Amino acid sequence: MPEFDLQFTIYLLTNGVMIGLMYALIALGFVLIYKATDAINFAQGEFVMFAGFIAAAMMARNLPFWLAALISIGGMVALGFALERVVLRPLIGRPVIAVVMATIGLAAVLRGTAVLAFGAGTSAINMPIPDDPIQLGPVALPPVEVVGAGVSLLFLAGFTWFFLKSRTGIAMRAVADSQQVAMAMGINVRRYFAFAWAMAGIVSALGGIVWGAMLGVDNQLALVGLKVFPVVILGGLDSIIGAVVGGLIVGIVENLAAGYLDPLVGGGTKDFVPYLLMIIVLMVRPEGIFGRRRIERV
Amino acid sequence: MTRLARSMLTLAAGVTAGLAYAGYAAAADKELLIGDQCDRTGATQIVGTVLCPAMQDYYKLVNSKGGIDGWMIKGDEIDNGYKVPEAIEAYERQKQMGALMMTLYGTPQTVALNARLEQDKIPTTSPGFGISAAADGNRFPYLFPIAATYWSQGAGAVQFAKDQLGGALKGKKIAYVYYDNPAGKEPMPILEALQKQEGFELRTFAVPPPGVELGAQIIDITQRYHPDFIIAHLFGRSPSVLIKGLKGAGFPLKKVVGLVWASAEADILAAGGWATAEGYNTLQFAGAGDNYPVRGEIKAMYKKDGKDPPKEMDDTVVYNRGLLQAAVQVEALTNALKLSGGQKPTTEQVKQGMEQIHDFTLGGLVPPLHITATDHEGGGFVKVFGVHGGKFVQETDWIHPFRDVVLNAVKTAE
Amino acid sequence: MFHRESGVFKTSYASDMALYPLPVARWAVVVLAVVFIVVVPLTWSGYFVSIVNLCLIAIVGALGLNILVGYTGQISIGAGAFMSVGAYTAANLVTHLSVPFYIALPAGGLMAALIGTIVGIPSLRIKGIYLAIATLAAQLIIEWTINHVQWISGGVQASIPVPRPSIFGIKLVSERQIYCFLMFFVVLALVATLNLVRSRIGRAFIAIRDQDIAAEIIGINIFKYKLYAFAISSFFAGVTGVLESYYLGIANYEQFQIDVSIDYLAMVIIGGLGSVLGSVFGAIFVTLLPIVSRWFLEGFGGVLFPNADLLNVIPNLRLVIFGGLIIFFLVVEPEGLNRLWRNIRNYFRVWPFSY
Repeated sequence: MPEFDLQFTIYLLTNGVMIGLMYALIALGFVLIYKATDAINFAQGEFVMFAGFIAAAMMARNLPFWLAALISIGGMVALGFALERVVLRPLIGRPVIAVVMATIGLAAVLRGTAVLAFGAGTSAINMPIPDDPIQLGPVALPPVEVVGAGVSLLFLAGFTWFFLKSRTGIAMRAVADSQQVAMAMGINVRRYFAFAWAMAGIVSALGGIVWGAMLGVDNQLALVGLKVFPVVILGGLDSIIGAVVGGLIVGIVENLAAGYLDPLVGGGTKDFVPYLLMIIVLMVRPEGIFGRRRIERV
Repeated sequence: MTRLARSMLTLAAGVTAGLAYAGYAAAADKELLIGDQCDRTGATQIVGTVLCPAMQDYYKLVNSKGGIDGWMIKGDEIDNGYKVPEAIEAYERQKQMGALMMTLYGTPQTVALNARLEQDKIPTTSPGFGISAAADGNRFPYLFPIAATYWSQGAGAVQFAKDQLGGALKGKKIAYVYYDNPAGKEPMPILEALQKQEGFELRTFAVPPPGVELGAQIIDITQRYHPDFIIAHLFGRSPSVLIKGLKGAGFPLKKVVGLVWASAEADILAAGGWATAEGYNTLQFAGAGDNYPVRGEIKAMYKKDGKDPPKEMDDTVVYNRGLLQAAVQVEALTNALKLSGGQKPTTEQVKQGMEQIHDFTLGGLVPPLHITATDHEGGGFVKVFGVHGGKFVQETDWIHPFRDVVLNAVKTAE
Repeated sequence: MFHRESGVFKTSYASDMALYPLPVARWAVVVLAVVFIVVVPLTWSGYFVSIVNLCLIAIVGALGLNILVGYTGQISIGAGAFMSVGAYTAANLVTHLSVPFYIALPAGGLMAALIGTIVGIPSLRIKGIYLAIATLAAQLIIEWTINHVQWISGGVQASIPVPRPSIFGIKLVSERQIYCFLMFFVVLALVATLNLVRSRIGRAFIAIRDQDIAAEIIGINIFKYKLYAFAISSFFAGVTGVLESYYLGIANYEQFQIDVSIDYLAMVIIGGLGSVLGSVFGAIFVTLLPIVSRWFLEGFGGVLFPNADLLNVIPNLRLVIFGGLIIFFLVVEPEGLNRLWRNIRNYFRVWPFSY
């Protein structure tokens, strides 16, 4: 029977916070797309995987880490632009579910293409950081996770500013609100859609590099995409801060569940407990914690 | 009407494809067809993309030496993507093509197809996965695990822990970290039986699929439970996450053993390389490493064609498992051809051929298999290899410990 | 179907609402019935019949999901879970009480309907994509429960053998026999769905899908009807699960995981939301696409990729083709194959006088 253990709980909480920020890194790309284009991207995990594949392939050619990362970012931006042009633009104004389905198809295409282009084997991304854990008091933090958490927080600050203050960000919000009204106001909707996908490409590239460094790169990397759903729904689909808070909640809840609930029920609970929490939160706040309430009219 | 035209084109493509299939060549005269399923696109892609090419390489090797008494081997491979409907389709297709025997891929697929195997009487191998109780040839007449089942693997891991901890497990603490799906839970009855018999303490740590993040479990193991030994039965990405995490937490990796699907080169690489994983122990049902004559022969075969050996050969764990699977198949066909007197054997004769395999070791790559009509597992041998200085080094000989406990479980399984 | 409408005059509402508004359509259905009941099982080989069987199972599930997603507008990524509920219910009944299929099938469906209704409760407050993810949560929770509760799953393996059903003392063992068995339920499901969607309940579903607030204002109890939709759809899913476990001879939750739910969603969307014929098209399309594209690549792959390792190229190229075609069809016709079919039909209906 598990009894409360302070030291152990602190370890769990720390790990939860770190991993939560890592989840947020992936969730941010998802939220970005939704916020700007109203599309649900079921291929987010595959985006991350693809970025990881590019970076690992570059590092296998003995390029330095920073160059590999830049190429990965560049590649994902190009991919974002291309996808917007080929797949998503023709679907503008179509039902949400058609876009959802298109991204599911996209996921299959990316998985197949990645293996055809880069091979199926596992490859590694070695970041130029020390392997030894960073000691913070009694807690040891893996350096990869520290980098991931840092990137995540950086994006949080950057995007919050971007959507609140910059001209492009405001235009994107307008587009997301109502494509028709935005068009009427003289906003080039297509251009901002392309922007949004390119930005999601950047976030996915960094997510792919960080997660790839942590897990190694092969088609399994796409599975981190499944972790995104409770995170974004908890936080609210259209909230940048929601992605980070959602990530933190999921990370912490997962860890506490694994530490204290697993021994009680004799099974791995950390995957579904966040979903359970998500449903409870949704019953109280149907748009997630930070999601914007949409006023519906007949 | 461009849309219409385009859709018509698509339709035409579909019809052409159907016709192409209709013209699919029937089996050649002196050819023995084996139906293999594989996963090159799904959840276990990293295994499938190495294992299946190895099987094809072995068939090629046999054929390049003139086949079996002039009979050529044809291995028809279909990717099932680790999905059950695809596996059904692949099975029916290969049955239609006249496959004499099959190899399945994946535990759910094996479970789903077992009823059909018995109905169609096609001997089929499921090495290292599938149903542990299938070791019993009376209850599962057409299913051949041919390699250590999860039960035998569990027993082997406990024996290894016992040896490492000074020959006695009484009062020791063992942590069992497992993938929280049926395959991951399968060794548990054996571990629990051995716990009673050997008197060690056992705690289980579940890793829900896909197991990309094990922080909490690793903290739980290293900071709260403090086990003397860890047995890891993980799949996919989780083995490497565990290795990396335990290393980071300062747990000695030589006190960890991974069952067969947590034991490949890819896991070591993804965990951060050989230096990180130094000491980690792996359980194998086919010998790991490059020092087997058959690998040399395959390399020579490629060299004769003026080609480099395939990059899959860089892997010595999963690739060698593929060789084992193919070699056992070919050996069964060889026996079956003796039974049929040089005629094309029936599936029933292939089954008998399979049940006559003994003392077949392929230069040490295959354990001293002894498959009989009642024991379809062939003894349940495993061997432990440790990570030392950038390669897998043999730690034990072929062992099949606690055989009575395993056989008892096989007997009492319903 | 292939017919022309001129010369057909409807004189009552009943004839306008009829299942077959045109006499020709009725004959077309008869011809199709003869083809599928006599020609296919008698002349096709076991392999092709087995593929048809996979399609048939998928059709039942797709019809059910279309009631929920297409007609009522509630996106669900949990179809697979309800199938496993049905499968395990039936499997437990069959193994412990050895009940015949005509009890096991509805029992599996009803249990799935019950669970489906519970899962549907949040739909009162949660909408759209949020609801979709809530059903994904249900999928994971149901999977977890089956995996960990031994009296449901029947042991560590979580798989229960299910013997093939018998009718009048004949055990259905061959592909052809099971084909007829499955076909009966497909026809039943088709007729039931066609009638459901033109009933009062079906119209309420459509009203909720088109504008739920407006529907509420005109007096539809939307909570009740949403729950109906979940229950009916889950019933279909449960029956699909039972049919599949009869077909495979085993109930195992690992064959009903998220990828299955997504496959079924793909069937419904690609086939055409809110269309019975579309569900059939979608189910056949998604089931056959990987198979046909493999035939195609096996036939022509050698021409396209002379040097590459074909065995590795084929499966991955198949994925690309699968995803690519999904996107292609959505871009060409976002309303699905059914719409594409109607377009083609309309083109030929007035052909050659297309003005």
